[in-house]
Amino acid sequence: MEEKLKNLEEEFNAEYQRVVTFKEVECLKVKYLGRKSQLNRLFTQLPTLAGEERGMWGRRLNSLKVKITSLLEEKLKRIDHKEQRVDLTFPSTPLQRGRCHILSTVNEKICSIFENLGFVVIEGKEVEDEWHNFAALNIPLEHPSRDVFDTFYLDLETHNKGKNRTRHLLRSHTSPSQIRVMRQRRPPLAVISPGRVYRPDEVDASHSFMFHQIEGFAVGEDINFSHLKGVLLYFARSFFSPDVHLRFRPHFFPFTEPSAEVDISCIICRGHSRKKSDNKLKVSGQQQRKCSVCKGKGWLEILGCGMIHPKVLAMCGIDFSKYRGFAFGMGVDRIAMLKYGIDDIRLFYENDTRFLEQF
Amino acid sequence: MRFSLNFIKEFLRVDVSAQQLARLLTMAGMEVECFQRQAQDWIFDIEVTSNRYDWLSMVGIAREIAACMGKKIKVTYPTVIRRPVLGERNIVIEDLGDCPFYIGRSIKNVKVTTSQHWLKERLLRSGINSINNIVDITNYCMLKWGNPLHAFDEDKLEGNIYIRRAKKGEVFIGIDAKERQLERENLVIADEKKVIAIAGVMGAKNTEVDENTKNIFLEAAIFSPLTVRRSRRRVGVDTESSYRFERRVNPDYIEYASYEAHKLIAREARAAFAGYRRAGRKPLLKKKKITVSLPKLNSYLGVDFSKTQVKKALRSLGFKIGKFSKEKTVLHPPLFRFDIQREVDVYEEVVRLLGYEKIIARLPFLNSEVRAAALYEFKKELRSLLAMLGLKEVITYSIEAEKDFADLGEHNWVKILNPLRAQENVLRPSLLLGMMKGIRYNLNRNQKNLFFFEIANVYCKEKDHFSELPKLSLGASGAPESIFYLKGVLEHILGYFHIENFEFREQSVGNFTNALKIIIQGKEVGFLGKLDENVRKAFDLKEDIFFSALDITLLKSAQKEKLYEPFSSYPVIWRDISIAFHKSRSFKEARQIIKTQAGEYLLDLQIIDVYKGKDIPSDSFAFTLRIFYQSQKKTLTSEEVDCLHNAIRKKLKDEEGMILR
Repeated sequence: MEEKLKNLEEEFNAEYQRVVTFKEVECLKVKYLGRKSQLNRLFTQLPTLAGEERGMWGRRLNSLKVKITSLLEEKLKRIDHKEQRVDLTFPSTPLQRGRCHILSTVNEKICSIFENLGFVVIEGKEVEDEWHNFAALNIPLEHPSRDVFDTFYLDLETHNKGKNRTRHLLRSHTSPSQIRVMRQRRPPLAVISPGRVYRPDEVDASHSFMFHQIEGFAVGEDINFSHLKGVLLYFARSFFSPDVHLRFRPHFFPFTEPSAEVDISCIICRGHSRKKSDNKLKVSGQQQRKCSVCKGKGWLEILGCGMIHPKVLAMCGIDFSKYRGFAFGMGVDRIAMLKYGIDDIRLFYENDTRFLEQF
Repeated sequence: MRFSLNFIKEFLRVDVSAQQLARLLTMAGMEVECFQRQAQDWIFDIEVTSNRYDWLSMVGIAREIAACMGKKIKVTYPTVIRRPVLGERNIVIEDLGDCPFYIGRSIKNVKVTTSQHWLKERLLRSGINSINNIVDITNYCMLKWGNPLHAFDEDKLEGNIYIRRAKKGEVFIGIDAKERQLERENLVIADEKKVIAIAGVMGAKNTEVDENTKNIFLEAAIFSPLTVRRSRRRVGVDTESSYRFERRVNPDYIEYASYEAHKLIAREARAAFAGYRRAGRKPLLKKKKITVSLPKLNSYLGVDFSKTQVKKALRSLGFKIGKFSKEKTVLHPPLFRFDIQREVDVYEEVVRLLGYEKIIARLPFLNSEVRAAALYEFKKELRSLLAMLGLKEVITYSIEAEKDFADLGEHNWVKILNPLRAQENVLRPSLLLGMMKGIRYNLNRNQKNLFFFEIANVYCKEKDHFSELPKLSLGASGAPESIFYLKGVLEHILGYFHIENFEFREQSVGNFTNALKIIIQGKEVGFLGKLDENVRKAFDLKEDIFFSALDITLLKSAQKEKLYEPFSSYPVIWRDISIAFHKSRSFKEARQIIKTQAGEYLLDLQIIDVYKGKDIPSDSFAFTLRIFYQSQKKTLTSEEVDCLHNAIRKKLKDEEGMILR
């Protein structure tokens, strides 16, 4: 035992003199103090010794361990710290990058802007019936005003109290949620309702048979058109940029009156190309370059809106002589495409990670 | 709808530039989609919304432009000559509901040639091809007045003219040379022997005007919009004519259109007028009365328009204004405006003419009697949690191919009656297919290590009801390639929502191997598993896929409110055990043994290392387990822990198939 201990100490001292680098000290530490070190092995032999001997050797082994430890620590302190420097230009440890889908992010962002104004989020149903998708919205079943709403019909039939056949379909817009809420709740109401919608459109860069919309509406005794403008301006400035302008153009929707389509000033060219084309400015006879996003118009259409048609209120059992409301609907895909310069709607649904991880 | 500014100028002096006009019209609701110069003319393309049939004619467009500029149009309404009466043939209307009014004019000795330049130009600039002088004149009058006309070769007519429903199976060959089978739904024009037109939709080949035509029978009529709509949808066409009839035509102009066409034919084709006959009765446009009040208008729009402003706007639009008082004014909208029926319609007319920009933006104080949908918030939280855990959200189509689901052994789905393509003909009953496609798309593009999730509805048809259920799906492919990654994600989700009483139960799930069901308080909430090798290959997936699906509604209902639990401030001590399991034993059993032995002192268990050396038999699994001990009441001494730990070691050692190393 004595000899082993002595040898060990000498051996250590000799090696100790030679080490210079941080790494070497670490190796030494493993060799002399590690689990498989000779010192540790000697410790494990202790229980085989008789009482007094055991105590004595135990103390000696311990003092050697303490000595080696302190020597090593001392050495470490003296080592030039430059030794410990690592190459910081080395690439970082790769982490799995998680992401919400850009459409979800845009959707949540839009909803939360309206939530700040007092709107409440309520999700509708994707499978609807003809009444909620059309008739209740003042869209007669066989009328040209329905032509813009091509619709997928479903092989599902229910019977109204055993009498009328109800045809089911995939909603072609989020407006039916307006009907559902208005029929179930009494005003005042301020609701925002996002979701998937479906139309049988051939898929191309700007069409998809499935896309996303957000419907918003408010009903109250004092609601008027200027509130609709205020709410949408607040939205556009919060979502796009504080200096964006809005333009309301008269339009026709069966479920609102008056109705409007809303444009924002082009977020790419800020309306510059519009001003130029108005004045027919031609720079040295050359055709001036039009903004590719707004096609030189300076405006981008982002949504449709209006005051809820009295017929629609009446169909929901709301007294239109007392209550008035406004409603608006926007395409989330389109807004996301405008804001982030995405030029193909299919990118949203292909789920290429190189697309997904960008947002 | 396309129009030429020169055509409009026949009725109105336009003294603004084309650019100014385009903006003026767009801001008044007649959206100019594009406009371009052509020779000395400007061609405008406008969007005609379904409420404004009157914009489908030059007179109507000119009237709208005049209203926007505060002017009046000058239209010469011809004095219609209806003599002599056409004696040769009678006109018989089967149902006045389908066709309330029909006019026929007979014109003899026409000379069919190509049209003169002015006529061709008018048509071409409105997007209509020139055929011959006769057809072109009918189209010109349709463009001008909005009433479609049709010219038949009179010598090919046999006897009387009938406006009747088609007999099932009657064959019709149109001027487009296509053959169509007719149904009762089709209203037709026929003579004694044959069908000569689908009413308001298209004329037949058999009576088409060609270069040999000598005599003409000119039709002008009013057809029911619904009848025309059903009829043209049945035969699958949409023509300039049906487009107008569906949106209604102005009965006041029908005689003008018919007479002007006859006069033009007489002039351009050097023909003589032979007779006029009509059937039915010209529908009378009813005078409407709408009472509005200025304060109500102002409060509805949130504006402060003056009496003068409102009156001026309404007058420009052709409203007749009764006594104008502040509270109550009686208005008579112009007869041709079928779309103006109530106060709000008047409000829109006023504001669109005065300009939407006059409305000032104000923020309302909004009050809502409804509470937010809790599920929306829950999904939002779930989404951000999963993104933080390193998963990417995908959005896949809710509509998939029936065949694919059949291949997956699903049987409960909702079919789409009118799919675009067979690839998209059912509503999905599960999110699996979408996930597989998303992963496949990326694998095929050499994108590796995919960790995806989706939050979306699935749709199930049950016996007497239908459900739309929100689900969460997780999909993983690549390193760390194991079911334990997904298991970990699921544990994180459950932990995040403080769901404690859950269990992963080994149970088989179709299409999966090594599947676990997730049970929360006895309820099955979802599952996870490795996609079966055969399914994987059948769907052309290059790598293993691990998948999990959870019911979001059930998950949410298991969510718990968390109260603070004091934690032990005494030190934690750990000890390692290196162990090998025969594959007949499970970790669950070892955990049970350790739990029983360590009791309240057991804090946690961790696998810190897995051995895959040569010395490990292939039917065994070797690893190092670290056991953490802690007491709630005191500092555990090294001896106490050793004692506990050795007892555990001994117990494990005594188990068959567990070897301590």
